[in-house]
Amino acid sequence: MREFEHDDDVDFAIVGTGAGGGTLACRLSELGFRVVAFDAGAWWRPLEEFASDESHQKKLFWTDERLCDGETPLVLGTNNSGKAIGGSTVHFAMVSLRFRPEWFKSRSLLGYGADWPLDWREMWHYYTQVEQALKISGPLKYPWGPKRPRYPYREHELNAAAWVLARGAEALGIDWTSTPLATVSAPRGHSPPCVYRGFCVSGCATNAKQSALVTWIPRAVAAGAEIRDLAMVTRIAVGNNDRVTGLEYIREGQRQFQRARHVVVAGYAIETPRLLLLSATSRFPDGLGNSSGLLGKNLMVQSNQAVWGVMPEEIRAYKGPPSLAITEHWNYTDIGKDFFGGYSYMSQGPLPIVWAGALNRRGLWGQALLDEMQHYNHQVGLKIVGETLPQERNRVTLADEKDANGLPIARVTYSFCDNDKRLIRHALDFMGRALDAAGVGDIWEETNDTCHLNGTARMGDDPRCSVVDGDCRSWDIPNLWICDGSVFPTVGGVNPSLTIQAIALRTADRIAALAGRGELDRRPQKKMS
Amino acid sequence: MQAPGQLKAAHSFTRSSSLLAWSVLADSAMEHYRGSFTNPAMTLPLASSLCALMAGIHSSGDSRPRRHVVRHAIYWSAAGIGIAGTAFHCYNIGKRPGGWCWNNLFYAAPIGAPMALLLSGVFGDVAERMREKPAVQPRLLGLPAWQSTALLCAAGLLGTAGEVGLLHLRGSFQHRAMYAPVLLAPAAATLLIHAAAVRRKPHWAARIALLAAQWLGVIGVLFHARGVARSQGGWRNWSQNLLSGPPLPAPPSLTALAMAGIAALRLEKAES
Repeated sequence: MREFEHDDDVDFAIVGTGAGGGTLACRLSELGFRVVAFDAGAWWRPLEEFASDESHQKKLFWTDERLCDGETPLVLGTNNSGKAIGGSTVHFAMVSLRFRPEWFKSRSLLGYGADWPLDWREMWHYYTQVEQALKISGPLKYPWGPKRPRYPYREHELNAAAWVLARGAEALGIDWTSTPLATVSAPRGHSPPCVYRGFCVSGCATNAKQSALVTWIPRAVAAGAEIRDLAMVTRIAVGNNDRVTGLEYIREGQRQFQRARHVVVAGYAIETPRLLLLSATSRFPDGLGNSSGLLGKNLMVQSNQAVWGVMPEEIRAYKGPPSLAITEHWNYTDIGKDFFGGYSYMSQGPLPIVWAGALNRRGLWGQALLDEMQHYNHQVGLKIVGETLPQERNRVTLADEKDANGLPIARVTYSFCDNDKRLIRHALDFMGRALDAAGVGDIWEETNDTCHLNGTARMGDDPRCSVVDGDCRSWDIPNLWICDGSVFPTVGGVNPSLTIQAIALRTADRIAALAGRGELDRRPQKKMS
Repeated sequence: MQAPGQLKAAHSFTRSSSLLAWSVLADSAMEHYRGSFTNPAMTLPLASSLCALMAGIHSSGDSRPRRHVVRHAIYWSAAGIGIAGTAFHCYNIGKRPGGWCWNNLFYAAPIGAPMALLLSGVFGDVAERMREKPAVQPRLLGLPAWQSTALLCAAGLLGTAGEVGLLHLRGSFQHRAMYAPVLLAPAAATLLIHAAAVRRKPHWAARIALLAAQWLGVIGVLFHARGVARSQGGWRNWSQNLLSGPPLPAPPSLTALAMAGIAALRLEKAES
């Protein structure tokens, strides 16, 4: 791997190596830029260092202390975090879905949320590129949305839990399909086909999963990027000319400084605003790139409620990728809803500790928990990925408490709004009917789970209402960029990883185009309307 | 009773029948073991293909110019079980949610597999009949024998191409060589049909295609062995990867069909 000196004025210093940062590091270095990408996590070798052990694999999660409050305080640190080269894609569920086209203009077309500064047809083009790069295994015919190219790899065999979803959907007369997944169904390079081990969300030990760790990062290194692991970036430095000059980070206990002509923040929806808030200066007292006052605001989770039950026959839902079947019916249907937004729901395969946790939250303990765990091989369920609306009261701020490095920790304030609650109610009712129609008994609802975090540095067309422009570039500091889920103005009812990677590919192309026009170091004067 | 004019042709078709029977035996043993023999009928193709294989071995040592009742019955039953198996596999696909969707065609009971047993039975039957045919201008199914057998082989090759196409599509054609049988088998079938339609021509194109298909079946086993090696754990984990990787016994059925096609073309000499 090529390595840069601290005094090297690299073109791009990227903070984070997940779906946003890893993808961008790859493409920027392939486009000829000199790139160093930092990650607070370790550079794992899955074949040697991943165990079939849920507890051990918590090493992949970002479990640094944070404060969570609000009416529905979030539980952080597992399914919504990642601390590793490759970020949370190392343990993501691989569900690789496109946005519904209308969501890019949900304010104008659907009457809620905010419009994106991006056109869906352009995103369709970048979605295709990501699907090719990750060799997504998906169905030959996708039931919803405009035509999309054939997925590069074929869909996976369904497990029994997925068939329960299929039977329920057919009984209720809605479409379902096998889920497009970022794990290969046939050999690809050094990746063997998926062996359906089922530990996907604890990290894939075979490298069948096409995470950033096994796709973008090796490409980035081959193209001359440096990946600096175990490096916690603590501050972005700004010079007297109001331009970013580099970043401070801690590695091997040493505070260090890397010069850079551009800095890209790709630390996900909590650490990204935290770092920008931590980097406040007298010239930028509210944090970098925060002239709109929106930095840290409009945090959107995705609701992740579930309905569970028991089948008479064995299901063994934990076999294979956890979400092998999906229906996006309620993402693409607008009638019959008493809420804005949409949701998809998928079959589920929780591992034992996660499952015991869900039963705990249901109030089971002791003998009752033991008895219920006896049904583990028979339990089956459906879980949504539901859209929540952007609200300025949902935000990331700095707390008074400090972390081990003496830096204020993030305070994460979150409350569902009434629309979010109506969506969840609708989903739970519908999924309950689907399970019932599929012959599932003892049905109960898990009402309090959330997943993916997005939207604390939204992109937009107007500097007054957004933190970055459509190119993920700060409105205030032209050599500061944000490229991760934070830039989402709305979240939609699908897992965000494919969209984050598509945005990163687009950003890389835009950066190359701007560089070609000589506009990379100086933003042309905007005509204000 | 006629002179033993077509014994050589009979032996050729017996070899094809036996190779197909071996392929079915190995393949259905592995796949139905994988399916835990949940239905007792899943043992039938094993028994039937084993009988066809033994009948083939018996037949190769038999130079009498007449059919053998037991062997012939075995071949007929193999063909019947092949047809029943196809019907059963179709039922298996259709009863699942999604019905005749791609996921079921890829992963439910393979729709084309039992046809190999049917073909084994048919070629065995042809071999038994050929024993009793005259040395000159033998006829089968109302046509000159070389034409009818060539058409049979062509049909078999087309079916095989369909089966391979489906399963290699499932494998996303991730290796370029996976296109070879999908292109070659229909090409050989087309040339064979063309040859059967145009008599008394040197059918060198059909011969070359069939020879290539014959060897592709052998090379295919090597490719499939490499596919097993590329699975997680490779050959060290053979007990799982033989079941989940590309099926080793499958490509030889292409060899068997190509051999039968070549035997059919050779039969044309009996026309003059």
